[in-house]
Amino acid sequence: MFEGMKSSSLLDRDPRLVDIMCSLDNAGKMPTGVASEIREAVALARRFNEAVARPYALELDRKMSEDPTYIPWDLVKEINRWGFYTAWIPKIFGGKGWNLGSITPVVEELCSVCAGIGNLIGVQYFGLSILFAGWNMRITDKVCREVVEGERSGEPCLVAGLVTEPGAGTDAEEVELLSKAKVRCHARRVEGGYVVNGTKVFISNGHVSTWHMLIAYEDLERPEETMILFAVKNGTKGFSFGRMEKKMGQKGCPASEMIFQDCFIPDEDVCISASQMKGLKRGAKGTGMQLIDFVVSLTRPGVGAMGAGVARGAYETALRFARETLVDGKPLVNHEWAQCLLAEMYANAALARLTYMECNHVNGLYGMASLLNMKPMYYYMRAVPTAVLDRFMPAVNAADATTRIFRKLVMDGQTEEEARRASGWASLSKFAATDLGIKNCQLAVEFMGRAGIRHDGWAEKFLRDSKLLQIYEGTNQLNRLNLFKCMIAPWVPEAQVFEE
Amino acid sequence: MKADVSEELRMLDGMARDFAARELVEEREEHDRYPFAPLYDDVLAKSLEVGFFSIMLPEDAGGSAEPVTALCLVLDELCRADASLGGAVFTQALAQEILRLAGAEELLAREAEGDGDLAQALIAFPSYDNPSEAGNCARASRGEKGYELSGEVEYVVLGGLAAHALLPARVEGMEGFAFFLVDTGHEGFTASEPVLSLGMHACPAVDLTLSGVPARLVGEERKGGQYFEAAVDRLSVAAAAVATGIMKGSFTDALEYCRQRKQGGRHIIEWSEVRMLLSSMAVSCKVADMLVECAARAVDRGEPGWELASRAAALQAQSLAPEVTSNGIQLLGGYGYMKDYGQEKRFRDAKQAQPLLGITPLRRLKYIRSIIDGEAAW
Repeated sequence: MFEGMKSSSLLDRDPRLVDIMCSLDNAGKMPTGVASEIREAVALARRFNEAVARPYALELDRKMSEDPTYIPWDLVKEINRWGFYTAWIPKIFGGKGWNLGSITPVVEELCSVCAGIGNLIGVQYFGLSILFAGWNMRITDKVCREVVEGERSGEPCLVAGLVTEPGAGTDAEEVELLSKAKVRCHARRVEGGYVVNGTKVFISNGHVSTWHMLIAYEDLERPEETMILFAVKNGTKGFSFGRMEKKMGQKGCPASEMIFQDCFIPDEDVCISASQMKGLKRGAKGTGMQLIDFVVSLTRPGVGAMGAGVARGAYETALRFARETLVDGKPLVNHEWAQCLLAEMYANAALARLTYMECNHVNGLYGMASLLNMKPMYYYMRAVPTAVLDRFMPAVNAADATTRIFRKLVMDGQTEEEARRASGWASLSKFAATDLGIKNCQLAVEFMGRAGIRHDGWAEKFLRDSKLLQIYEGTNQLNRLNLFKCMIAPWVPEAQVFEE
Repeated sequence: MKADVSEELRMLDGMARDFAARELVEEREEHDRYPFAPLYDDVLAKSLEVGFFSIMLPEDAGGSAEPVTALCLVLDELCRADASLGGAVFTQALAQEILRLAGAEELLAREAEGDGDLAQALIAFPSYDNPSEAGNCARASRGEKGYELSGEVEYVVLGGLAAHALLPARVEGMEGFAFFLVDTGHEGFTASEPVLSLGMHACPAVDLTLSGVPARLVGEERKGGQYFEAAVDRLSVAAAAVATGIMKGSFTDALEYCRQRKQGGRHIIEWSEVRMLLSSMAVSCKVADMLVECAARAVDRGEPGWELASRAAALQAQSLAPEVTSNGIQLLGGYGYMKDYGQEKRFRDAKQAQPLLGITPLRRLKYIRSIIDGEAAW
């Protein structure tokens, strides 16, 4: 029946090849230098694991169990010395400008030893992604250069993202839900800026961060149309740290409550407001969703990479146990059932990895940093010394016109197709890879019996750490719905999402 | 689990439920901070007083001589609130069962003489191991004054608390292993700091190092494995009850939370995907509950095939519990992951309870070996 039909129309049928095989499109466009960058970045992560993470992970976990208020400043400073906090900041903002494709393999590597330490590094790029997503070039330049200066001076300058509220977890991640949500973080317009009141919770890296990317709402009855993004620095009057949460795992990375009480934030620290969003092609609500999607399209595969990391760490722990343990007089690793189980675990880690690698391709084509993946831009940015860019980029970034141009180019330039593909795949990676991650952790503990439940056996820590991956960056249930919304509903005219 | 139980057992069940509500719920988080906070000695002492540590102990030895159904009812109730105490009660019952099977009544009776002294009443035991598989045994040698134990035994539950420990040891020149009872206060007996573990923090375990510690042989030298397997037959269903109680606690709290929490402008219990998760939890709880009831009855009545019924109940309930309690966290979102709520503890406890009586896959292989060797599959 397909005889005579053009190939292109066949490939455009659901499932469309461009939707399900983005790697095919991106492979040829990807600069070859990306592969060597990934190799170098992973090698650095392995060096860091051996020198810092592996010798310290269990001790830190134990220390946090004993004293949940302990803040791991020494570790943050050590990570800062290794350069992880500026590695993926683009060179135009003074950073090292590593290709974003290398961040997920690094996150996997780190989390294969300790997801808490992995998050202490990775979540810096959640905060930064929110900063980048507003495309306010002036503030982005200002904050990023402080982060870079923090690395130079040895006084870490971290950036946190403040989204979740006590009454809005899932709701805060999706504008369709936001319209019915009970958000409480209110920004009231006053002369010269805004006065913010409200509380944010479960903020990763909150207590160790200097800058806080705060999402608030100008009208709590219409949050989906009045979203506003601020950059708030430590010491701002009316802003304070609340409690540090007592978590089951990932203890090395603080989860903080952040309190705003009549906190005045000047106009110059407004990254993007609803009135600015209204001037863009999607309007306030659509741009608000785009902003969230820009962020989560990058960070959800990051959580997927954490899933791959814990899956691998659990597998490696189980393999070590199998080699060291005798059952019925022969090594466990030579029992057929154990070999099949280990193969299953290896596959789970590999499948998790494939999901975030596919997202790397999707983001390379359609993500908010896709400009940097175009070959001429990529090779220019690699070749040009940061010192040269530093001479003129701060002034360029400070100009209002630069922000306007970039917003036009990147925000208005992104098509709905591209946005939904990036968001849909990010959700797929997030829930699939983290489900695989926790599965491997469960298998490892089960496989190891008594050794699996002991803190000094590592497996139990992987399990505790892994469970959080199914919750943050949108619960895995929300991410399933988002995949449906982005990848399935467009071909099902009668489908309604979030309207049950 | 209570469809067919006597009035006496109903009263015991009610007493356990009241005890759990009174003693375990409010301070659960603080109790779970052990070893970074004091152990709840007061709760353990009260547990001894009400008889939780001697439910199946023969009357001659000062126990209640209740059937395994009674132990399961109590464990189910306790573990809904806090499985740590369940782990202690289970370990004690397992050690007592081995002593009983070995015909060591005089040793059991000796225990009752403790008369309210917690340390004297408790028996430390490595309840996470099958000694024939794990090789987690001391060495026994016979000298002029009797047996002496040396070597290391890992993860001995109640090891830092009990005045006695029931330990497996290989006797020089013999196959297999034997059980020995030792006094934990004796010279040459060294216990490590409490081992930090995944869950059941208030059911502490230690690693033991023994150096020429005098020991009393329990039963016969060559029969350690036989006693152990017979005890596993009988008490596997109790391990299933531990897992079942944990699951039920997780489901109850998740259901309550979903009734209260709003997202997307309505209570999340109105979301059909939330209901699917709750349904999956509820079905698992019901299945586990039926398994325990049925298997415990089979054990108590000595129905044909009761041994496999008991073991199957444990393997199945223990494998359901991690999934159920994971959903129990998931439904509370970020709150479920925090210590302020009981759900993260139940997730840890469920997985901690899985390897009770030995490594799960090895118990699965043992199960099918019994059938291959001729036992009826159902």
